[in-house]
Amino acid sequence: MGDHVKGTVTSLSSVFAPEDAQKASVRVQEAISERQKEVQQLQAFLNDNASLVNLVKKLPDQLHHDIMVPFGKAAFFPGRLIHTNEFMVLLGEGYYAERTSKQTVEILKRRGKDLDSQIETLNAVIKDLKFEASFFDETATEAAEGIVEIREEYDEEASNEDKATPAVMRKDSTHRLSRPPICDDDFAHILSRIDELEKEELEAEIAEEAEGKEEADISRLISSMAIEPEVSNSKLKESPDIPVSKDSPIKVPTPSGSNTNVRLVEHNKLKESLPCTPAPSNVVEVPTIASNSGNDSSRTGVSAPASKEVSNYGSGSSNDRSKAFTGSIVEHTHNNENNQKGQTPAPASRPVSRFKMQRK
Amino acid sequence: MASSSAASRDLQKELEAKANDLSKIQKDISKNHQVRKKYTIQLGENELVLKELDLLDDDANVYKLIGPVLVKQDMAEANANVRKRIEYISAELKRLDSTLRDLEEKQNSKKEAIFKVQQRIQSLQAGKDKA
Repeated sequence: MGDHVKGTVTSLSSVFAPEDAQKASVRVQEAISERQKEVQQLQAFLNDNASLVNLVKKLPDQLHHDIMVPFGKAAFFPGRLIHTNEFMVLLGEGYYAERTSKQTVEILKRRGKDLDSQIETLNAVIKDLKFEASFFDETATEAAEGIVEIREEYDEEASNEDKATPAVMRKDSTHRLSRPPICDDDFAHILSRIDELEKEELEAEIAEEAEGKEEADISRLISSMAIEPEVSNSKLKESPDIPVSKDSPIKVPTPSGSNTNVRLVEHNKLKESLPCTPAPSNVVEVPTIASNSGNDSSRTGVSAPASKEVSNYGSGSSNDRSKAFTGSIVEHTHNNENNQKGQTPAPASRPVSRFKMQRK
Repeated sequence: MASSSAASRDLQKELEAKANDLSKIQKDISKNHQVRKKYTIQLGENELVLKELDLLDDDANVYKLIGPVLVKQDMAEANANVRKRIEYISAELKRLDSTLRDLEEKQNSKKEAIFKVQQRIQSLQAGKDKA
């Protein structure tokens, strides 16, 4: 394993604590309700305006109206409205103008149009905020699930070296796993963790097979996968020999056992969903191509430029464990951006990293 | 060991001071936002008035509410007054913009500084853990 390449594995929950993400989501929700209140207020203005227009239209119909004139807060006295076609209209900023009924209605209609456009813009803002809120929720759940983020500098030379000196290679009936480049300590730790989990998963998977799947969660994950950016071909060409693994998403779940089932399902589903992504043509030397979906993951694995990725630990044969481990990266582009501007400022100085997951 | 814990305490203090500065700057920024909002609303209102004044006939009667009384005003005069007011508000908005930009720059540099301190604390703690 190349010592020259540095990479880090961070659990998502350490970067964005679930509580923080939740808090951010709550804050956005508050903003939304604030805007909605504003919209309601504007709507009320609009209604007032409409009824005023009606009144102003009606007043000149008669020469005079008998009315009750408010006197103080509680009293009224009978009076009579004359000059029913003369209005003193407040234009704003303390300016009044004398207008006829018709002219007044025109002014009021112009105001109504203004209110309409304001409501429209506010609605657009609310839409944006809602999108943001749904993203924060997503982040919160992902962090709570224990998804980890693997970051590694993309180094062309290094990857070339890698292919020159192929290291331990591993195959397995269904998945080939490569080690994510990470610090040795971390790596050993993770590896052992994965061993356990893999065993667990295998057991759980069997049990799971028959059971219904939790569609909601899955579709969420799948949709996030769909966001991964297209990889530029050039990049792929530069490192064409990087072997790829079949299941790109490697999820390293947190120890909480209760999650296991859900994760498993997601894992399976993800595999199914992968083949939909276009496969790059230039995948070379995949020692054991498990299935045609191998190509796809090469795409994600090699070049997804950084961010939160989903990782699934290989659920394959458990005896491969010690070596079988694929890290690959799935990018959530919008997530990343939003994160940085939205909440806990992600360390801006962190370099955009590239991954190439498969070194063997 | 003792020296490292002292160092980490210093760093903590530094971090706190910087965080305080940052929150002050953020307060200023939010104040700035509020003032700006007020002015923006006024600008909108004035522009509305100007539009309506332009639509009025030249011989229309225009009054200005001064305190409790309506004072009759010349159309031309009212027009000029509103224009002046708009100019003033625009200038004020521009000024607020520039101060806001200043504040944001300051905020960013403070954030960076805080981040650096945090990193140092982390590396210090990591070193301690290993030891």
